[in-house]
Amino acid sequence: MAGLALFALLVAAALLAPLISPQNPYDLAQIDVLDSKLPPGSLGGAGRHFWLGTDDQGRDMLSAIFYGLRISLFVGIVSTVCALAIGMAAGLLAAYAGGRTETLVMRVVDIQLSFPAILIALILIAVLGQGVGKVIAALVTVQWAYYARTVRGVALVERRREYIEAARCLALSPARIVFRHLLPNCLPPLIVVATVQVAAAIALEATLSFLGLGLPITEPSLGLLIANGYQYLLSGKYWISFFPGIALLLTIVSINLVADQLRDVLNPRLAR
Amino acid sequence: MPSELPKSGLLRRLGACIALAAALAVAPAASGEELKIAVAADVTSIDPHFYNLFPNNNIAEHIFDKLVRMDADSKMIPGLAVSWKTIDATTWEYKLRKDAKFSDGTPVTAEDVAFSIDRVPTIPNSPGLFTPYTKSIVSKQIVDPYTIRLKYATPYPLSPNDLSTIYIVSKKAATGATTEDFNTGKATIGSGPYKFVRYVNGDRVELVRNDGYWGDKPAFDKVTFKIIKNPAARMAALLSGDVDAIEQPPTADLARLKNDPKLTLSSKISHRVIYFNFDNLDRSSPDVTGKDGKPLATNPLRDVRVRRAFSKAINRPAIAERVMEGQAVPSGQLVSSHLFGYVPTLKPDAYDPEGAKKLLAEAGYPNGFNVVLHGPSGRYVNDEQIIQAVAQMLTRVGINAKVETAPMGPYSAKASKQEYSVTMVGWGASTGESSSPLRSLIATYDTATGSGAVNWGRYSNPKVDYLITQALQQVDDANRLNMLQRATELAMSDVAIMPIHFQFTIWATRKGVQYTPRTDEYTLAYQFKVAR
Repeated sequence: MAGLALFALLVAAALLAPLISPQNPYDLAQIDVLDSKLPPGSLGGAGRHFWLGTDDQGRDMLSAIFYGLRISLFVGIVSTVCALAIGMAAGLLAAYAGGRTETLVMRVVDIQLSFPAILIALILIAVLGQGVGKVIAALVTVQWAYYARTVRGVALVERRREYIEAARCLALSPARIVFRHLLPNCLPPLIVVATVQVAAAIALEATLSFLGLGLPITEPSLGLLIANGYQYLLSGKYWISFFPGIALLLTIVSINLVADQLRDVLNPRLAR
Repeated sequence: MPSELPKSGLLRRLGACIALAAALAVAPAASGEELKIAVAADVTSIDPHFYNLFPNNNIAEHIFDKLVRMDADSKMIPGLAVSWKTIDATTWEYKLRKDAKFSDGTPVTAEDVAFSIDRVPTIPNSPGLFTPYTKSIVSKQIVDPYTIRLKYATPYPLSPNDLSTIYIVSKKAATGATTEDFNTGKATIGSGPYKFVRYVNGDRVELVRNDGYWGDKPAFDKVTFKIIKNPAARMAALLSGDVDAIEQPPTADLARLKNDPKLTLSSKISHRVIYFNFDNLDRSSPDVTGKDGKPLATNPLRDVRVRRAFSKAINRPAIAERVMEGQAVPSGQLVSSHLFGYVPTLKPDAYDPEGAKKLLAEAGYPNGFNVVLHGPSGRYVNDEQIIQAVAQMLTRVGINAKVETAPMGPYSAKASKQEYSVTMVGWGASTGESSSPLRSLIATYDTATGSGAVNWGRYSNPKVDYLITQALQQVDDANRLNMLQRATELAMSDVAIMPIHFQFTIWATRKGVQYTPRTDEYTLAYQFKVAR
């Protein structure tokens, strides 16, 4: 429950970022390089307090974290939903059609899973270029295979169940069987995998940004904020990467806690 | 490792520990033997004529000699040539020193000089040759083994400046040699203070002292240049004792480093100007859009009032103070104050956001427009931070600026093809005077003459071109200075490029090692001394 509460709080902070942030960190007219690298609690030039300090451009860290959280969660959730849709369709197709189609789809999945995710994402970003849409495209490409494999495994079991046979006997259309009967029964494990993958997508996006390959530098996500502050760690200006790091950590931990909880709730074998 | 040592891993490690302890025990006496330096950028080749690129030249400075060298203030001093003079209006004569020998023992003669000049334009697959510095030479005449005459088509006062960029290789060793032969060391025979040992691409270059060198004996026998691109990692390598010296410590750490009793800092203003190019082509500029997000039919950057507004919008002292931590001098021109061609009366535009808005309104853009600024990441000191600060300042006067940065290679490939509207880059006046930036950055782009080779904005002003061409033919220094200054003034009044500042180049060394800082930014092992 703590995980869910924390996650809800972070999502609320991200959604309400424009309302609760002291500053819009993406509006260059609102940030001033003369306020750069101020320690937490300092008073800035415009008479405003920077409770978590400022980064090397004079951005208020608190506002930057709220907005960064927004990007990170948006990228994580959107890429997961897209990857889930694609992976689910591919997995169901493979399981239901069988034969050559199955072999083809599953070998593609195998090939994809044999490469480290970060490697594929790096290559894609290098080819596609930078931008939110392109990062999402890269994350979807990396992640759809996990869902395809999961859903195929479940669907293969479900396909042999009596209710599917019954549906077949009623001469329902294959599309109806797959989407109305097979799919709902495959969902529980998928939801758990998807939740964990949201956290993985956020971490991967942060990694890409940290390597300088994700999002534009004037609209930093959490990973980019950490990367910006990293070079100041040795000089004692810890707050530039420390606080975004904490925010990223809390996000990923809370999502994982929620996923754990979901797994327990959705697992019929677990005694309640 | 010597073969008589035991093969067992544990024993070997024990042996290494003892050896290390012994090395530490004698460390004070041994200093002056080996020097390890961490440098910031990749060395792409050991062939000194392959690519006119700073990190490559930095290594070539050790292995090869030049006719004319530059001192720490970028003033010309004798190198392989002991003296040079004009014989007639278009002919220069260089007298070579007789005690210079290549590391294989053969003397350096006029034949080698002629061979090296001839070799420059013949290198295949080069991303950037030294030809701008040799192509004016019409013919060469070897008078005797130690005298060479170079003939030019017109009076050419910059001959020694040009030759201060050309490395002299051994004719015997380099005849028929490829760039690869230099990288493996087969053809790497020079007459410089150090000899080549090993080059590992992307990792290190190892050198050993050339005891046959004619000049002052370097303090260190053995030198290793380690390539560490990340500033924080470079700093950590120095603090942990992995290296004895580094170039470009992170500016954010300077305050702390100054108070560190184990380190010494040295710094000097660089000859490198950090500046912005503006798209001057008559087209709908690629990165410029109106406030409604639609491309503008005309290119506002062609209007000098708009360029002036950019310049007035920028708070250069704030960038020098906050972004560069005081390690930069704001600039309104092409060369810093100690170089030939500096205009003492030309000050950087004062920070004047109201004036900038007024100029924009006059030019017909009272609400400004949107623009994307492009720049390199990690090539110049704090480059990404500078460009973001500039974007902030432009946004405040109504020019909504976005920033896109990329590593220097891919960025410069696109910028040099005019794919961007506003680009940030740096230029070092390697000849030690202002004709270098004027010829390369300001003069009209012309592949036939090589002028404007790095004129990314394609700025073109016939009056400036005329002054530059005339200046290059003035044999009298006072006349040439005057014309270079007038060309600079005219180009700056037109905001041909927008200078931001000259950065300071900083070196950090461990206590006990001292570096004489240089304005040309080179990190030269033979300039390191043992301080006791």
